[in-house]
Amino acid sequence: MQLWNAREKAFGRMSGCKSPADSPFRQKRGSSGLLRFQPQKILVVLLLLSLGCALGCSNLRDPPASVPGQRAFTDEAGRLVHVPPRIERLVSLAPNLTETVYAIGAGQRLVGNTTYCDYPEEAKHVAKVGDTLQPSVERILALRPQLILISTASQLEAFTQQLNDQNISVYVTDPRDLEGVYRSILNLGQLLNQEKEAMALTATLRLRTEAVERAVANRQPVKLFYQLSAEPLYTAGRDAFVTDIIRRAGGKSVTAEVPGAWPKYSAESALASQAEAIILPTGGSMGEANAAVAGPLRLSPAFTNGKIYKINDDHLTRPGPRAVEGLEALARALHPEAFNK
Amino acid sequence: MTVTEGLHMTVLGDARATPRRTALICLMLGAALLASIVLVSLFGSERLPASESLCTLFSLGRRGCGLSAAQTAILMDIRLPRILLAAAVGASLAAAGASYQALLRNPLAEPYLLGISNGAAVGTMLSLVFLGQFAFARPLLAFGGALLATLLVYRLAAGRTGTTPERLILSGVIVTTFLSSVIVFVTTLLDATRIRSFTFWLLGDLSGSAGNLLIVSIVVSILCTTVLSFHARSLNLLMLGERDAFDLGVEVSRVRFTVFIVASLLVGSSVASSGSVGYVGLVVPHLVRLSFGSDNRLTIPAAALLGAMFVVIADTLARTLIAPRELPVGAITAIIGAPLFIYLLRRG
Repeated sequence: MQLWNAREKAFGRMSGCKSPADSPFRQKRGSSGLLRFQPQKILVVLLLLSLGCALGCSNLRDPPASVPGQRAFTDEAGRLVHVPPRIERLVSLAPNLTETVYAIGAGQRLVGNTTYCDYPEEAKHVAKVGDTLQPSVERILALRPQLILISTASQLEAFTQQLNDQNISVYVTDPRDLEGVYRSILNLGQLLNQEKEAMALTATLRLRTEAVERAVANRQPVKLFYQLSAEPLYTAGRDAFVTDIIRRAGGKSVTAEVPGAWPKYSAESALASQAEAIILPTGGSMGEANAAVAGPLRLSPAFTNGKIYKINDDHLTRPGPRAVEGLEALARALHPEAFNK
Repeated sequence: MTVTEGLHMTVLGDARATPRRTALICLMLGAALLASIVLVSLFGSERLPASESLCTLFSLGRRGCGLSAAQTAILMDIRLPRILLAAAVGASLAAAGASYQALLRNPLAEPYLLGISNGAAVGTMLSLVFLGQFAFARPLLAFGGALLATLLVYRLAAGRTGTTPERLILSGVIVTTFLSSVIVFVTTLLDATRIRSFTFWLLGDLSGSAGNLLIVSIVVSILCTTVLSFHARSLNLLMLGERDAFDLGVEVSRVRFTVFIVASLLVGSSVASSGSVGYVGLVVPHLVRLSFGSDNRLTIPAAALLGAMFVVIADTLARTLIAPRELPVGAITAIIGAPLFIYLLRRG
């Protein structure tokens, strides 16, 4: 097994190596080993080659500081990204970015997205390159994109290096709260030459957000528990995008200070928090998988008082333009009297 | 002294467990288990007043004892059921492990090594994916999966010259790897929201103790451990070798079949309620044998009691170490179990 792994690694490195100086060396040494059918020797040679290739190829990985005729951007992960003056073919590897691309009017230029990208309707008919957990590099390459969009929300950072090695520009967005969503929208607007549309969109979203915040401003925040899944019990922690949405909607997540984005949470602590409401993100991509309150929480005052609110999970967990819809829905659920005027 | 008792002397030497010794050790371990259950119920992510909690525990929640309603609910409806489930799972896995080891005369025989846990895991996974709305489907399919895996291993192992322990272990390895690939295959097909809960569950997780699975697990663990203990005499004689045991009047194939079925029931019920909690079936029986000798009439019940205690303590760590967040209990049992097993191996 280990032997096999080492070989695969060696092959992987070789295929990534494009330096012509390496190839005669590789053929000569490799073929003599093969003729004698000595697997150990082949392995040693492959390992040596991979080492040489790793050293030789490392120069290719660092992009030059400036490329003539290309625009330079610093993405939200602090990486330098070079893109052509106008991007005609792009691939999105996150549903929130797909939604943003359509919302700023660049949807026709999207040549690939993931199986999770289901909004708007047109996004479903774009070529799928896999899910957000395991996209296929081959499919992405076959689409010949000029730019690939990645969101830290879908945890594909490790994948970035792999695409970078293929000399494809990768832009990483890192929206952690609603402000971050606005920033990502504006950044994508610049990248895709849709600045005007992006600015108009963020202006509308800001207005809607401010309207919600004004409506709930003087109201007592509702203590709530966000149930991501019932069994095992998962919730939203400090780093979750939705924690910011909850705060703005006039709620107070009882797990807002728990480290991590999606911690597995103790049932007894959830019950002890005496939450006044329970939020069930459900009905979107989650389907009906999370439509019931977890067993231990049925002893909570929120359950006995019937304060269980189902909100479309796509609006709450995707840091994209529709997050404002989630904000509005949540605020209406928590403070109905603030909106019945 | 009967003939078999004399043979026990020959096979086991000083390690032979007299009924009195068995009863004494089991009583002691049982008392220790009860004490540890009471003790760990004072610990959790929420701090509860100790004396009031003890009062509530000993009155079985009938008296308030000064705890608020929410505190009583935390203690009696969330914490205690989980501790009891941990005990049932630990007892099941340790008793099953001890029986497999005796039956196969192989110190490494374990529900995991034979693929039985993986069979149960596949069954549970199928029920989660396709029959998520039926709560009762989970233990049934887990048991079905464990049983199918057992029968498969058993069939594969049965050669023309009979079933040798080596063949059995090898078939177990094949079934294990096959079922692991099935699990990987299905989890890849699942959507992300389900994968998260499922990967946690694969590492062993006792947080889903609500519902009727708790009662099922407790009843199954007690009943099946009792049945296995009744077969301990035959298992002792089987340690001589199958032919000798047969000559001594042991119905080898019937005993083997019964022990296999009962042990897979134990594994099925524990995997259905808590996922794959590792190392319990391996470490606990070894510890028991090193301390009390290898007479199965003592090993099986003692392993069940000690296994229960082991998982109860491990799950307390899982609940409290990073509270209010939680760790999977399987990670804790492996962290405690693997070094302990290395120590036992080097000592033995």
